[in-house]
Amino acid sequence: MRTTIPIIVAFLAGTLLIVSFFFNPEKIWIGDAKELALQWMTIVGGFALVLGVVSIVRVNARAVQRKSEGWFYKLMTVISVFAMAIPAIMPVTKESVGGSIFYSIFPESCMGYLGTGSNSFYDWLFNYVDAPMMETMFAMLAFYIASAAYRAFRARNTEATLLLLTAILVMLWRVPMGEAFLRLFSDNLPGYINTYVMGGFNVAVQRGIIIGAALGAASMSLRIILGIERTYMGK
Amino acid sequence: MDIWEKLDGIDRRWIYLLMFISVLIPTIFVVKFPIELTPEAEQLYNAVEELPDSSVIMLTFDYYASALAETEPMSIAALRHMWRKDMKIITLSNIPLGGPTIAERVTREIAEEFGKVYGVDFVNLGYKANYVAVMHGLASSIESIFPTDYSGTPLAELPLMQEVKNYDDMTFIYCVADNATVDYWVSIVNAQYGIPVGAGVTAVMAPKMYSFLEAGQMTGLLGGMKGAAEYEKMVGALGTATIGMDAQSMSHLLIIFLVIVGNLGFFMKRRKSKGAE
Repeated sequence: MRTTIPIIVAFLAGTLLIVSFFFNPEKIWIGDAKELALQWMTIVGGFALVLGVVSIVRVNARAVQRKSEGWFYKLMTVISVFAMAIPAIMPVTKESVGGSIFYSIFPESCMGYLGTGSNSFYDWLFNYVDAPMMETMFAMLAFYIASAAYRAFRARNTEATLLLLTAILVMLWRVPMGEAFLRLFSDNLPGYINTYVMGGFNVAVQRGIIIGAALGAASMSLRIILGIERTYMGK
Repeated sequence: MDIWEKLDGIDRRWIYLLMFISVLIPTIFVVKFPIELTPEAEQLYNAVEELPDSSVIMLTFDYYASALAETEPMSIAALRHMWRKDMKIITLSNIPLGGPTIAERVTREIAEEFGKVYGVDFVNLGYKANYVAVMHGLASSIESIFPTDYSGTPLAELPLMQEVKNYDDMTFIYCVADNATVDYWVSIVNAQYGIPVGAGVTAVMAPKMYSFLEAGQMTGLLGGMKGAAEYEKMVGALGTATIGMDAQSMSHLLIIFLVIVGNLGFFMKRRKSKGAE
């Protein structure tokens, strides 16, 4: 039963969306069914997010309870989850769901700080804590890339040399100073790099990868719809 | 230890210091090197430019805060371009953390510049989970997927949303992204519903987008901060991307210099060891 029902649901949902693609949704009942299925998908997606929050809280709370290594950081993770989530889901006005009860307990001056709008607590945390931290982490990559490029980018053989030369040309082409340098050799050189490297060799390889990945996704979808692939159920 | 061995084994802290200097100095002393336009950036600009004034356009904020330096200038330049043409803009995000908040802040900032009114000239739909379902769902009814906007106002109360019910009422989708959602805007929305899609993406994503561009499935592309700087130039409102290009130029040149130095040390060391044999 625990296996059969998910397989039936996957089969019906998958088949409905495939079949509906070939019909005019305005002229046949299948169009309404498709719309309903898509609404359900966004709702199920929302529940998946909730499941993610429950999981992260459970795993980290357990580590804090056991005082395992790095428990303090895990505690910060749990606090951060609630600090962002709680003010964001509180009723913004008296008319919101549960708003009348909430504002009979808390002062109405809280209104501006709740929810996710401008000047809310969530907005403040995002703009002044979360965003700078994420940007800092990403910016650190510049240092590691420079160090890694110096250490690993060696012309050890023909393939590595080709890769290295192409990388240098593209890196020069992507910045104004480099582009000016390339123009010293020929005015057309930046255009050639765009046409032949990015629009030529790069496209050939990217298409191969995209088509391969798409065929893989299609066959995997078919396996799930037909009940052959069951790893999503933990089998 | 001779010079070649030293060149082959520079301490990483020196590299970090050089990188720090190469970013810091151009950020303080901005030169603004002339920015050359690429055909794909011009294609995107022209696609928006050729749309009728006051037409409805969807601008997506599919990026996390980590990619703000590259993507936010694209969104800002795009908003300025669109509102110069008095277009109506619908924003949404397929990213739960970041996108909707950034969209709210950026659109309201630029709206003030142009005197645009929320609900009449622009609407922020916010985020809904499962972007594949969202993209399909918007084709039949926006309201069925987003019953309310980002701040919880029912769409029925927003004048702009009375005119816009689904993709049929939009002329273009301008996707700014730092992740794979742009692939789906192309493969679902452009391929299945026929709406032209243009994109601004991070530099690491740009190579993949060329295949969509060459196939005609994508109408124009901005790649990384350079793409953003190109769009700023075309719109005529230079911003943070143009300023950032100097630092990026210097850091690229530093990386190239380090690669050359590393290879020089590597070859000389190899030659020496071969000679010793």
